[in-house]
Amino acid sequence: MNKLIILSLTFVISYFSFAEESMNHDHEGHIHGALVDGSNLDVDPERYKEFMKGLENCQIAVVSVIGMVCDFCAQGIEKTFEKDETVKKIDVDLNKGKVLIAYSKNKKIEYKEIEQKILSNGQNATGLKVININ
Amino acid sequence: MGIKRSLLFLFFICGVIEARPISYSGGSTVMSNTDNMRDTFYYHYSPTYKYSLGLEAVKDDYFKTDFSYFRLTYLLNRKNTRYSQRNLYFQSGVSSKGLNNNFIGVHGDWETRRWFIGFGYKKVSNDIIEYDDKFLQLGVAPYLGEYGDFHTWVMVKSKKNDLLESWSTFPVLKFFKGNFLIEFGYNSKTEWDSHVMYRF
Repeated sequence: MNKLIILSLTFVISYFSFAEESMNHDHEGHIHGALVDGSNLDVDPERYKEFMKGLENCQIAVVSVIGMVCDFCAQGIEKTFEKDETVKKIDVDLNKGKVLIAYSKNKKIEYKEIEQKILSNGQNATGLKVININ
Repeated sequence: MGIKRSLLFLFFICGVIEARPISYSGGSTVMSNTDNMRDTFYYHYSPTYKYSLGLEAVKDDYFKTDFSYFRLTYLLNRKNTRYSQRNLYFQSGVSSKGLNNNFIGVHGDWETRRWFIGFGYKKVSNDIIEYDDKFLQLGVAPYLGEYGDFHTWVMVKSKKNDLLESWSTFPVLKFFKGNFLIEFGYNSKTEWDSHVMYRF
């Protein structure tokens, strides 16, 4: 009997639960042809500088992510994006809730694709800015 | 004792807090748990971040028997915010000894980079008896490391198994770096309570 109660409870909760995952998001837009210092991206300036070292002729996706609370979250995101051959470099900043992804110039960066990859790891993307580096 | 031997030793002596019972899509996890009731070794694979399937080998010290569970864990609810993540999981297992040997339960946690609260409840059945197994765990990270650093958590765990009479409360230390996590606590009543996990 107790098991039936637990089962019923868990499936009722389950039924209503995943609606919460469709978080509101904001595709913040592209910054074309500008090499910015990171100050208007709400990223850690030192971390951003380090990430940008040696990068040229590529695009940087600056993704805002919620739900990243530990290294396991960060690892999952890294592994997911590293499967993409157009990804040159990735950095996860748990403190700022940002994921920086350097893509090849020929990659068409789609918010939906990034959002889906973040979700496949269990977190939610809430915004994206793209910087073109020449 | 070499590092590899030490790790292997820890892997097999340790055990019972199921940190992150589901991995990211396509991820695998091995974990070992040890407490005063049982020693287990558990592998699970997560086809998606919503559920995991696994096999758990159990050495049951209380009933003096060995068996395996085929396990399913399902993420019922996850709430992500900028600074936190909250999870509620359904967990179940069917034993190699037959369908009458099984468990079902729920497992939940709420975590920020600084604070952790977790609980678990299992209803376990075997050929002899049906009993409840539950725990509550609170933790704080004394410092916030960056991704890739060595992380430390100081925790308090309280647990009760119906086969034993009273709640047992004790301090727990959790350390993790990279793919590797180790967690252990001790008190004179329940002795070692520990958990080792490796994710890949």
